[in-house]
Amino acid sequence: MCLSSILRIMPLTLLLATGEASAHAMLDHAEPRVGNKVATAPREVTLWFTQKLEPAFSTITVTDSTGKRVDTGKTRVNGSQMSVSLRSQASGTYHVIWRVLSVDTHSTDGSFTFQVGQ
Amino acid sequence: MEWFEAGLNAPLIAVRAIHFAATAITTASLIFRAVVLEPALASGQQLPCSSQMTNSLRAQIARLTWIGLGVTVFSGVIWVLVEAASMSGVPLGEAMNSGVLQTVLQETQFGQVCEIRFVFSLILAACLAWHRFAFANWFAFASGLAIAAGIAWTGHAGSTPGELGDMHVAGDALHLLAAAAWVGGLLPLALMLAAAAKETSLAFPSLASNVTRRFSALGLISVAALAATGIINAWILVGSIQALVSTGYGRLLVLKLVVFVLMLMFAAYNRYWLTPRLTYSSDNNLMVPTLHQLTRNSVIEIALGFAIFAIVGMLGTMHPAIHLL
Repeated sequence: MCLSSILRIMPLTLLLATGEASAHAMLDHAEPRVGNKVATAPREVTLWFTQKLEPAFSTITVTDSTGKRVDTGKTRVNGSQMSVSLRSQASGTYHVIWRVLSVDTHSTDGSFTFQVGQ
Repeated sequence: MEWFEAGLNAPLIAVRAIHFAATAITTASLIFRAVVLEPALASGQQLPCSSQMTNSLRAQIARLTWIGLGVTVFSGVIWVLVEAASMSGVPLGEAMNSGVLQTVLQETQFGQVCEIRFVFSLILAACLAWHRFAFANWFAFASGLAIAAGIAWTGHAGSTPGELGDMHVAGDALHLLAAAAWVGGLLPLALMLAAAAKETSLAFPSLASNVTRRFSALGLISVAALAATGIINAWILVGSIQALVSTGYGRLLVLKLVVFVLMLMFAAYNRYWLTPRLTYSSDNNLMVPTLHQLTRNSVIEIALGFAIFAIVGMLGTMHPAIHLL
């Protein structure tokens, strides 16, 4: 399978993985990756989308396994990329909830989890 | 079976369709005057027209531009309000009073482009008001082009990232201008043909014949531009035959293509059958039925063109097919 085919299928794979995305700007990939396990807590969560985003109406919220919010609340948007810094370094399951408005004026939302720990 | 898509935003689709049609009429009136009517009047390739006749034609096109501009601005304001409510997820009344509208206008690309297009609308209105100055006509022409092309930055093309996005938005802007020139230009043409058919002297039908030939040339260029930029848009937003036939977006695009082909058939009949009959007729009794036929076909083309604007109004609110496969 050629690289372009893989890249084309990737957004659909992520869509099926998150199960919630439903409009224009779709989640292309994320760091930490959707559903993955990482050894140490990341300093920030970064999401890449298929279209350019509007900063005024695009947010990421991250909660830990107890439901406590662990992001700084200051989402940064640059083109089709969106990031938020984390305040927690604890192990466990992190829940990422995002809502974006693409430049073509359509809203999309979705969520995924990743795990921190050995 | 859902042929297109559930949960479509009917007010948003309606206001977009009206806005696109009004913008096309505004821009096309200016293009028609600058590229078709004035060169035809200056060419001397028809029987001499009285100054009363030419002034009446110019006034008719100016009225059309004013009406088009008025509807463009009014529908543009409604569009911004409906989008503000849609973006924020709050009811329309709350969106107007809670600062959401200000955020949309100041901090989103859609809002900023709408403001720029509004400024060009004001410039166009000023130029129409002071049309006796030669430079005003050129400023009006440029403003009209900017108002139509600016729509490209409010839709799917404006949100495509990277270098592909630059190509997408350039192609879409050209697509909008070509659509405005052809579809919108049919309205001043039909009005002129209808007026010519009522004339007893040969001068007006003779001018109509010259104008029709010039509009046909503009139509051919527009259709070529529409086809080329339409292929680019479809490649970016649909990407495959499978996506074209298996998604709501793709099926609606096919419907748009079918209506486009119907328009082409009427345009070809007008261009290759009726227009030559105007040229070869020196007898008013032969010209008048041809002018009636041309007027009727142009009105049918306008109706089909407005159907395309309605489809485009809907397409812009849907998932591009390439994101679904």
